[in-house]
Amino acid sequence: MYVIIAYDVNVERVNRVKKFLRQHLNWVQNSLFEGEVTPADLEEIRMGLRRIIDEEEDMVVIYRLRSADAMKREVIGVEKSSVDEVI
Amino acid sequence: MKRRNFYIVSDGRLKRKENTLYFESGEDRRPIPVNAIYAIYALGSLTVTSKALSYLAREGICVHFFNRYGLYEGSFYPREGLVSGEVVIRQAEHYLDHDKRLYLAKAFVEGSIMNMARVLRKSGEDDSEVISALQALADAGRIDEVMGAEAVARNAYYSKFDSILQEMKFERRSRQPPENEVNAMISFGNSLLYSAVISEIYHTQLHPAISFLHEPMERRFSLALDIAELFKPVIVDRLIFNLVNRKVVTEGDFDDRFNGVLLNENGRRKFVKAFNERLEKTVKHRKLKRSVSYQRLIRLECYKLVKHVLNAEKYRPFVMWW
Repeated sequence: MYVIIAYDVNVERVNRVKKFLRQHLNWVQNSLFEGEVTPADLEEIRMGLRRIIDEEEDMVVIYRLRSADAMKREVIGVEKSSVDEVI
Repeated sequence: MKRRNFYIVSDGRLKRKENTLYFESGEDRRPIPVNAIYAIYALGSLTVTSKALSYLAREGICVHFFNRYGLYEGSFYPREGLVSGEVVIRQAEHYLDHDKRLYLAKAFVEGSIMNMARVLRKSGEDDSEVISALQALADAGRIDEVMGAEAVARNAYYSKFDSILQEMKFERRSRQPPENEVNAMISFGNSLLYSAVISEIYHTQLHPAISFLHEPMERRFSLALDIAELFKPVIVDRLIFNLVNRKVVTEGDFDDRFNGVLLNENGRRKFVKAFNERLEKTVKHRKLKRSVSYQRLIRLECYKLVKHVLNAEKYRPFVMWW
């Protein structure tokens, strides 16, 4: 499945969330990641995020799509990070 | 994240930071999520820090290095994670026993010949000459005779290339250096395929140096040569026909300033991209009854070998069924 994760967390933790998500997903822009994952990966991501954030104060939204094909992606302006496999 | 192959064509540095890998070149800094990497193909001149290498090793990610001519140089093959003494011993037994080795060597060549014939038929060419090499193969009693049958089939196969290729000339197979554009692509494509097979062998219990058709050589993963033989026609050759006839790769994508002809950086990018798309392309598997990618087919071939050496199921080579 394809996931899009957006977060709004306290500035103390924002870097840890970014660092953690970098291992798993593509960084799209500030506080936004996306990528193809398996259900097991998603569970791992969920658990990791729970450990980092303060559930009383922070919010993370996970959007799930059946696959990348189910999504129409459009970028206006400058694409900050490419996801191409040929570098 | 779904693991993918990454091909680094530009020059730069690969380093570890914040538990992920970064590719840096000049001002550019590109993060690559470590969980998204299946294998890395270093085609440009790449500097890798030891921290990055140890991280890759921990994650079990192979890095394949190519020289500036696009030829395979070597691999960073992390410590094996799937060691099985049983499989290695049985594999060696199948090498040491002449009859057992002959069976496997013949199987590889048979599969390779069938796939060559299949590729010709799909392009509307006559395959009878290639197929007739199967008789010599059946009669072969020694490994060099098996190799001979393979060479006869391959020559017949290559002789049809010029009528399949509309935009470029092939003439004959030449290596080190390739004499023309088509040969340059075959050499480059075979190098990529060989590395892809190494990545798959890494993820199985097989020992990469114990081979059956090719002689196990020192400092070389010759089992990958055996398995690559089966997939060359299907993956590399058909890709080349496609790229040439659809005019994706043209004269301008090559460099002939030295003794031979090679793909230039732009040509390499196009080729690598198309190669990867092909590895990810899926077909419906008859036995498994689900879609599998070409890359997965290579892995399945390794599993079949494991089963064969363990005497669980006789090995039958992969023959394209579509």
